[in-house]
Amino acid sequence: MCAGFGSVPRWSVRVRSAGLPSGGMQPAELAQAAMTAALMGAIGVASIVIPGAVVFAWLGAVPMGVLSFRHRLGVGLAAAVAAGLIGFLVAGFGGLISVLTCVYMGAIAGQVKRRGRGVATMLSVAAGWGILVAIFCVGVFTATTYLRRTVIAAISSNVGGFAVLVREIPIVGAAVGAFHRAVENWLIHWPLFFGIGVWLIVMFGTSFGWSVLTPVLRRIEEVTDLTIEGSLSAIDNSAPAGPLPVVLTDVSYRYPGADHDTLEPVSLRVDVGDHVAVTGANGSGKTTLMRILAGSRPTGGSVQRPGGVGLGQLAGTALVLQHAESQILGLRVADDVVWGLPHDRQIDVEALLDEVGLAGMADRDTAGLSGGELQRLAVASALARQPALLVADEVTTMVDQGGRQAVIKVLDGLTRHHRLGLVHITHYPEEAASADRVVRLGPNRDVDPAPAAPVAASQTLSGPTILEVNDVSFDYAQGTPWSRPALRNVSFTVTAGEGVLLCGGNGSGKSTLAWIMAGLQQPTTGECLLDGRPTSEQLGAVALCFQAARLQLLRGRAGAAVAALAGFSSTDTGAIERALASVRLGTEIADVLIDRLSGGQLRRVALAGLLARAPRLLILDEPLAGLDSAAQADLIDLLVRIRRQGQTMIVISHDVSNLSPLCPRTIELERGSLVSAVRKDQE
Amino acid sequence: MSRRGRRNRRPLMLMRPVPGPSPVHNLWAGTKLLVVLAVSILLTISPSWCAIGLTASLILLAALLGGISYTCIPSVPRSIGLIVVVGSVFTIVNGGAPNLALGSVTVGLGGFLDFLRVTALGLVLLGLGAVTTWTTQIADIAPAVAQLGRPLRLLRLPVDDWAVTIALSFRMFPMLAEEFRLLAAARRLQPPSPEKRSRRVELADLCTAAMVIALRRANEMGDAIAARGGAGRISAGSARPGWADALALVVVAAMFGLVLTG
Repeated sequence: MCAGFGSVPRWSVRVRSAGLPSGGMQPAELAQAAMTAALMGAIGVASIVIPGAVVFAWLGAVPMGVLSFRHRLGVGLAAAVAAGLIGFLVAGFGGLISVLTCVYMGAIAGQVKRRGRGVATMLSVAAGWGILVAIFCVGVFTATTYLRRTVIAAISSNVGGFAVLVREIPIVGAAVGAFHRAVENWLIHWPLFFGIGVWLIVMFGTSFGWSVLTPVLRRIEEVTDLTIEGSLSAIDNSAPAGPLPVVLTDVSYRYPGADHDTLEPVSLRVDVGDHVAVTGANGSGKTTLMRILAGSRPTGGSVQRPGGVGLGQLAGTALVLQHAESQILGLRVADDVVWGLPHDRQIDVEALLDEVGLAGMADRDTAGLSGGELQRLAVASALARQPALLVADEVTTMVDQGGRQAVIKVLDGLTRHHRLGLVHITHYPEEAASADRVVRLGPNRDVDPAPAAPVAASQTLSGPTILEVNDVSFDYAQGTPWSRPALRNVSFTVTAGEGVLLCGGNGSGKSTLAWIMAGLQQPTTGECLLDGRPTSEQLGAVALCFQAARLQLLRGRAGAAVAALAGFSSTDTGAIERALASVRLGTEIADVLIDRLSGGQLRRVALAGLLARAPRLLILDEPLAGLDSAAQADLIDLLVRIRRQGQTMIVISHDVSNLSPLCPRTIELERGSLVSAVRKDQE
Repeated sequence: MSRRGRRNRRPLMLMRPVPGPSPVHNLWAGTKLLVVLAVSILLTISPSWCAIGLTASLILLAALLGGISYTCIPSVPRSIGLIVVVGSVFTIVNGGAPNLALGSVTVGLGGFLDFLRVTALGLVLLGLGAVTTWTTQIADIAPAVAQLGRPLRLLRLPVDDWAVTIALSFRMFPMLAEEFRLLAAARRLQPPSPEKRSRRVELADLCTAAMVIALRRANEMGDAIAARGGAGRISAGSARPGWADALALVVVAAMFGLVLTG
């Protein structure tokens, strides 16, 4: 059953403990354990407090199984402690027991697989463990006499009452009567029946964990590349910090087995006080260069620095990464600034926050910050380490226009106010303007900033109304103390064939409005009608393309993902090819793993699936986010063509200038209310 | 379920404290953890009406002091109400039958009272956790666990690693929740597949999608931790127990005394 996993799992993680106290958990281990704990805790709590969710209670064994398969037991233990605490805090002993059940199911299944053993081993381990658990449970129940008597009496009288009620019904009455006598008998000899019951649950549950884990592990291995090689966690951080001056000579990087360099040879020197910008399109190896600056070994060329990189250490190397949310580790703003520092280090948190424009926000929860605020906080946390070298890797890709300028302003001031060298990696050439030097990676792709001829506004105005948003308001968590208005009395209409740009800043309610228009959410008051009927009654009639298109592509390969989105059979290659052709993708992409696609390709594949159903209305949420200029221009050009064919479209974006050729009409939201409805009729 | 009814349901809000401050908000998170643990154990040892009543009063007192209104309680689905009604009917009908393991209880309402007690016990335990999470900043929990667990270090248990894991899992919660919300929405928008797919394949599909999302998040977070040079401090504040905490513990100790001697 475990064919395909050799004796040593290919992507299990072997631990090196260089530079860290022995036995302490490594960064990757902490993150994986925390993720598993969050998942198990959520599943455990849900199974207790949400009626009907009990069915899913055992699914917590899957994350635990994956963790146990990839990591040593100690990591699983940390996850178990954290998940148990979450379960206990929210749902009491019930939550704790629910979590612990998933822990042993997943741990047994995962560890048996990690050791390359099969079903027989799993069953015998489970049998032994089941005996221990049964003895423990019977012991606890024996000790808690009072509780036991109450529970037994409650069960007994429930079954008894049921038997009395149905006594007169011919066959059912007799059957229930027999059941009643059996239950009474079990309750008298409870230790035996309880023990056997617990043992069976352990056996059955562990087998269930095993049977779900087997296909999931195989699929995860197929779909993604999770090897730790090349990740920051694999960097040897033991030498004393001395990252500058760093000299890169013809440095290149090629993944094992690849036929071309991910990073083509580049030479670079950075010293204290330097502000170096690195630009290049997606796929030119920018992030690989960041990892090499942070201490990864290149496959070609040489890197010279006086000491170690000192990642995250005093006077070492600090990084600000692309994913704003995932790199913030503290729960409050001030917690994040000090996160990971030695316990005795004193830091002036307020001064650091002031420098990045977050003064007075030390006590705010990090979960409520905007993308731009998160990235500025990441800069403050980097500065708390007084780094000699600071590397910022595409820090503005996920940040809106206003936020982007604030982040760039902070970065540009760094070399003046601190003794450090700054390497700013970006795919927006304009962000490199204030650097002392610019290094270009990859081929020089010239980008035409205005490729598409605008769609004429006049050709689309006469059509019938298809979407009516009438006085829509929406409150989150309505009726509770956490209630918060998201939309206030929003009204507008969209006619057939129209292109509308819906813009607004962070927290303006754009996404909520998109969900209401797609029918995923009902307005608190007012109505949202598509062809005269509420959108929530016709889910799927409005197509919604997520910003994170990856979440919509649920199958392993692009072709199958398109089929799932379009409602095709996955064997209908003709239909899939036509759908891919409609977004100008070749047929060869159907066999490519989703995780190997670029950001632009992901959006196109999602579009292919959505358009194949000829939606009445297509909503695109931030279609340009995370794309480099060339990919943005390509996508806008494609969308303009789709619009010309008469597709009604609403584009949600903060990128007004790039999208105006596509959408002649702009609607602006500000704090949940409509600000303006400008129609550029006279163009 | 009618659309009207669905619109007005109050959602369940977990791990989100109500706006403070209040005397209960101000208690050290470790005190609240200890109280919840102690009272849970007490109720397990001795689930008497006295203990359940005292715990209920403790919850009411905390709710009153903490400014928790009844609107925090999510709407209870009808299925739950139905189960309670059916259970009550069954146990009341059974009233006449002798209770095997509990001979001393008055014949008649005996079974019903037992059923009521088990239900009340469950409610009180849930209420205790709810009041705690509604008055405690999530950020304060992990540091408190680290302090409470300090004695365990003598047993060479990695308490600090555990505290870091707890703090990070709280940090990961909202991110994963948002991604799973999107994942669920994507599935709702998807048309039915023309092929007949088995439950098992569907389940594996869903688990894989969720795990890939979660693993990717964890990889990014692992990189971020590595970029900070590994774990160390997790909190900027240094909350310590004060007089109010001592008072709270005295109240709970008195409760223990009443229940166990009474």
